[in-house]
Amino acid sequence: MKIMTCPLNGPRPVSEFFYWGEVRPMPDPDTCTDAEWADYVFNRNGAPGVKREWWCHTPSNTWFIAERDTEKDVVLKTYFYQGDA
Amino acid sequence: MSQALASSPVAEIVAELLTDAVRQAEAAAVLGIADVSLEVRCGCKGPGTVAWLDSLDVPVPEKFNSWLPLGERGRIARLGMTEFLIEGDAAVVERLTTTPRAAGVYPVQREDAALMLGGARVNELLRQTCNVNFAALNLADRPVVLTSLIGVGVTVLLEQTAQGLIYRIWCDGSYGRYVFETLHDIAHELGGGTVSPQHLYA
Repeated sequence: MKIMTCPLNGPRPVSEFFYWGEVRPMPDPDTCTDAEWADYVFNRNGAPGVKREWWCHTPSNTWFIAERDTEKDVVLKTYFYQGDA
Repeated sequence: MSQALASSPVAEIVAELLTDAVRQAEAAAVLGIADVSLEVRCGCKGPGTVAWLDSLDVPVPEKFNSWLPLGERGRIARLGMTEFLIEGDAAVVERLTTTPRAAGVYPVQREDAALMLGGARVNELLRQTCNVNFAALNLADRPVVLTSLIGVGVTVLLEQTAQGLIYRIWCDGSYGRYVFETLHDIAHELGGGTVSPQHLYA
């Protein structure tokens, strides 16, 4: 069983969590080009490596960031998001 | 917010599965499951909630995921950082549901199926249905655990009473029948069954 550590609820089986994709800064829609906006909306980075991802502990609805090596599928660390959501 | 439900989400299945009255005390001693959905309760959350509860003289658990007793038969549970579940103390629930909320306080509708588990073999049932090792928790901390039980998101509160350790479990009312029936089946296999709440919590 894979274990993930929620920053609030502690280590839990990964079945208690939901993956919500890589953290991706949104370009300013008022100033970015159409190409930049289309890239943000439609394209995803599928290259393996260490990524910052949104995860949610579903029983408590706790959202947090996990740094995960997607090549090895190893969670390196988890923490609450710092900044504007 | 909410107070008491008009009917329990698990009323039908409880009526169907209730152990014969003469056997209930015996079943509760082994592994009893009881419906307590009709207790008064309410919920609130938000960044202003701790200060608002303080202003209303409601005790606030300091630690995340812990609880405190309210009056003789009530409790307030801190779910995560800024959400609270208040249950069992009609005066406090009335105060919280009738006082205007402060800024940064939001109501949480509580229409849970609420169950109580107790008895000598309760940990065997939990080991079959949940990934959390409840036996490792320190009861002095008055722990609250938000986890998944037979695939359903639940809140579990552990309370040491004079009659023994009981587990209070809340889940979304729409899952109530499934949760209750499944836990009853396991309890029945282990020698227990569905009982009236007073057999677990006098």
